[in-house]
Amino acid sequence: MTMNPSVLVAEDEPLMRERLLEMLAQSWPEARVVLVAENGNDAWDGFLEHEPDVAFLDIRMPGLSGLEVAERIGAMAHVVFVTAYDQYAVDAFDAGAVDYLLKPVQMDRLERAVARLKAKLVQPPADGAAMGELLRHLKSALPGVRQERTRWIKASVGRQVRVIDVDEVLFFQSDTRYTRIVLRDYEALVRTPLKDLLSTLDPDRFWQIHRATVVNVNAIAAAERIDAERMQVLVKGSDEKLAVSRTFVHLFRE
Amino acid sequence: MWRKVANWYRGWEEEQIAVLERPELAPGAAQGYRRAIYCKMAERSPLERQQMRDFCVALKGWRGWLWTAALLAVYTLCGVALHLQSPGFGWAKAIVSANMCGIAVTFALVGAWFNYRQFSRKKLKLLVAVLGFAVFAAVTSTGLSMWLEGQPLAHALERVSNFLRGVLVGSLAILELVLIISILRNRHYEAMNAQLQREAEQARLARELSESQLRLLRAQIEPHFLFNTLGAVQQLAQHGAPRAAELTGNLIDFLRSSLRDMRSEQVSLAAEFGLVESYLKVMQVRLGERLRFSLQLPRALEELRLPSMILLTLVENAIKHGIEPALRGGEVTVSAQALDGAVRIRVQDGGVGMSAIAAPEGSGGTGLDNVRHRLRLAYGEAAGLHLRDGEPGLIADVTIPHAQA
Repeated sequence: MTMNPSVLVAEDEPLMRERLLEMLAQSWPEARVVLVAENGNDAWDGFLEHEPDVAFLDIRMPGLSGLEVAERIGAMAHVVFVTAYDQYAVDAFDAGAVDYLLKPVQMDRLERAVARLKAKLVQPPADGAAMGELLRHLKSALPGVRQERTRWIKASVGRQVRVIDVDEVLFFQSDTRYTRIVLRDYEALVRTPLKDLLSTLDPDRFWQIHRATVVNVNAIAAAERIDAERMQVLVKGSDEKLAVSRTFVHLFRE
Repeated sequence: MWRKVANWYRGWEEEQIAVLERPELAPGAAQGYRRAIYCKMAERSPLERQQMRDFCVALKGWRGWLWTAALLAVYTLCGVALHLQSPGFGWAKAIVSANMCGIAVTFALVGAWFNYRQFSRKKLKLLVAVLGFAVFAAVTSTGLSMWLEGQPLAHALERVSNFLRGVLVGSLAILELVLIISILRNRHYEAMNAQLQREAEQARLARELSESQLRLLRAQIEPHFLFNTLGAVQQLAQHGAPRAAELTGNLIDFLRSSLRDMRSEQVSLAAEFGLVESYLKVMQVRLGERLRFSLQLPRALEELRLPSMILLTLVENAIKHGIEPALRGGEVTVSAQALDGAVRIRVQDGGVGMSAIAAPEGSGGTGLDNVRHRLRLAYGEAAGLHLRDGEPGLIADVTIPHAQA
């Protein structure tokens, strides 16, 4: 692991964000903050872009909650939750899979968390299964941390506005500021960025296989290996081949 | 043999009292007439069961027998008196008939005492039953005595009509007594029942008021509100920002006016707008540019009284379910407007809208239920809360009746 670990900070309130960044600069000067996110969607998208070693996540944020971001991060980074949920609600964290800080964050507590992170960074992040279990528990125990799921997307196709049933979508692809939605018979462009659409889709039915691509699991015909690291997905009803990034190759391991 | 009967009687008494105390036991009794009786008892109202239970307890064991013996002694004395008055009656005949009449009257009165609700409801049915019983009694007893005395049937008609007259007069007199008792008892019962219902309603109202007070208290010390706000104060203070003093001032205003709200049931609209303003100012410092807000209260409506905490609940909902979860935030507008005979108070947010409110989970629904309930308590059907899609966000309208000055 590098001497200068990279850090992501996700917090929706500006003053709390400022405070955490200042305190972090004091207690962990060698850490590089590579991304500061104001909501869960930006946090996850930025995570894929920067692949930081550590993520400080507020639990209650617009878009994806901190729990949902952590679930996606899995074992790819060390997660520290920052939360105003009271002691009782976060007792589950004491199981030890992830660390947490109570808001407003106090210096001595942050210093302890940093010390723990430094020790952990020498070894790979915690076992993903234990954390998955913890996150599922927390999601059901804490109120208001689950992003609403969308069923319909309104999109303009030519001069018409189509109401698209998400189940009929084959895949979504990010196209700079737009998102391309591909269906069996036609495709549409919507103004919403993919990172924001993604947070409203059921992660069990729509797999993200690349920072810029989300595919409907039912539409996957096969995944094929290109070389040791790269894969691509063949989609039923489309001749496009979708690249699977290294981060998501694990989805297709047997 | 005697012991067996006594044991049976004691068991029956205890079972009956147990059923009267806990009617859910009734279906568990042994099959048969006893269970049928218990089930009937279990259908009675709690007040009636309580009265029956008190009666059964008062007459439990030897006391019941003592009372029976006392009553029988009184009837026997009446029989003796009857014999001495009109020697036509033999000793045995006088005593037996006095006892029979006495027992019948006692049963009728005890029945009326406890079945007043049925009796006073079914007066006609009761009258028919008594008449039928009188005719039946007259015919059978005349027939019986004539057969015993060996008299010819020719006199039968005359005797029956004589007897019938006696029985009718007697039973109608008893019936009248029974009805008077049931009607009086029934009136008493209804008064008591109404009293109990009033007390229950008052207790419910008191409980609801303290529940909504508790809710407000919890909203203030809700960790997300309190700790995030204190964190913001700490951050501003660390840099000596003048905004630290301002934010603390708004927090103090908010806490003080919500404590005042908690103590009073009705507050002026101006005071509610003040409370909401201090809350929104605190939230604006915390959320930064994600929250914008405006308040519009016409001077003429400032003194309007309304139930406390209603407006704050709606604004808290707008922040919690509208603005905070919205990626790009939005604007909250709070306004009051006089309509024809009513005032409409509107909280509009440009946040995520209907879907979040419709979601059953979380605490969103309970706050709105509480608002609806308090409006109904204060104004009945004349007031209401209506939610609709603001595209984007949500519009919550509270309408309360207001006579134009």
